[in-house]
Amino acid sequence: MTEAREASRERARAEDRELLRRYHELGDAGARERLVSRHLPLVRSLARRYAGRGEPLDDIEQVGAIGLIKAIDRFELDREVSLATYATPNVVGEIKRHFRDKGWAIRVPRALQELNARISQTIDRLTSKLGRSPSVAEIAEALGSTPEEVLEALEVGSAYTALSLSAGPGGEEGEGDPLDSIGEADEGFERSEDRADLEPALGQLDPREREILRMRFEEGLPQTQIAERVGLSQMHVSRLIRKSLAAMRDELAS
Amino acid sequence: MSKPDRIALEAPLDEAFAPVVRLIVGAIAERADFGYEAMDDLQLAIERLLAEAGSLGHVSLSFEVTEGQIRANVGPLRSDALAEALQEPDDTPGKLTLGRILSTVVDSYGVEDAADGHIVIRLVKIAGPVG
Repeated sequence: MTEAREASRERARAEDRELLRRYHELGDAGARERLVSRHLPLVRSLARRYAGRGEPLDDIEQVGAIGLIKAIDRFELDREVSLATYATPNVVGEIKRHFRDKGWAIRVPRALQELNARISQTIDRLTSKLGRSPSVAEIAEALGSTPEEVLEALEVGSAYTALSLSAGPGGEEGEGDPLDSIGEADEGFERSEDRADLEPALGQLDPREREILRMRFEEGLPQTQIAERVGLSQMHVSRLIRKSLAAMRDELAS
Repeated sequence: MSKPDRIALEAPLDEAFAPVVRLIVGAIAERADFGYEAMDDLQLAIERLLAEAGSLGHVSLSFEVTEGQIRANVGPLRSDALAEALQEPDDTPGKLTLGRILSTVVDSYGVEDAADGHIVIRLVKIAGPVG
């Protein structure tokens, strides 16, 4: 039984290595997608450890999946470790960074964190149901809460610490971002030395954040549509926009 | 047409007070029956303006609430950087200026000269469709 399980693991590792080889050596994007799909259960398992901390599990899983993609992109074929072993700290690191960036370290009362997490889901559900953005009163009614409590919970949830622009996407200093190439092809905002522009700091952002800014301010898409496109909650998109603009402003001021 | 409700406040130009301003703007938008996204847009507009306005002194904010619409005045402010930023055309393709941000998140905005070289930024935000 144990031998059979070990043989199965060995086969899985060998399949992973073949997919990694096809992706890194041949640029086979399908192989990359299969790798992501094969290791999503690992991401879900790791994400569950961080559930109940004021963030929807779906959002944590999305963030963890980004860590997985980065691990796949960074993996060097001559490594002796399995992809699962290599990806685990990347996924956990991405999730931790997400919580750090959200500023939960400001000791927000648990009740407000939980209300905030429920608000995120409620906004998305009501937006879908009503075909428009729900009012705070409607959100409060759906949650059995008051508008004032909802506003307060929204505010604590929107607390953030500006991302260190010298840190890599995984939080590591001086590390390049393997996902940078994703944003290059359709990066709409040009660079500028103009004091009034934020573009000089645009390149410091995560590719996903750049893409969200481009969709919001270049395409003029509402948050709801951006949320659908990138697979995040509307509230999460709002936070990323605010965080990105603040981080760019800080970068220019420094 | 009913007389608009008016709310005015003065806040330190200090990042630490940004959440307080944001909370107040949210509460005003809630009274005006704004949807979440419209409220978030108005909060972002004011947040970005205050971030560009420097960190010295205080800022006055006033709001006029009519049915489904909020008019906000931010200032008077003395900020050459802010005035310069808002003079940039906001429709240049591919440029992420403060004007571009404002024109995306509010329905209209304008800059008026006040006394002593100060400026006042006026914003109008419409609530959007409600039930």
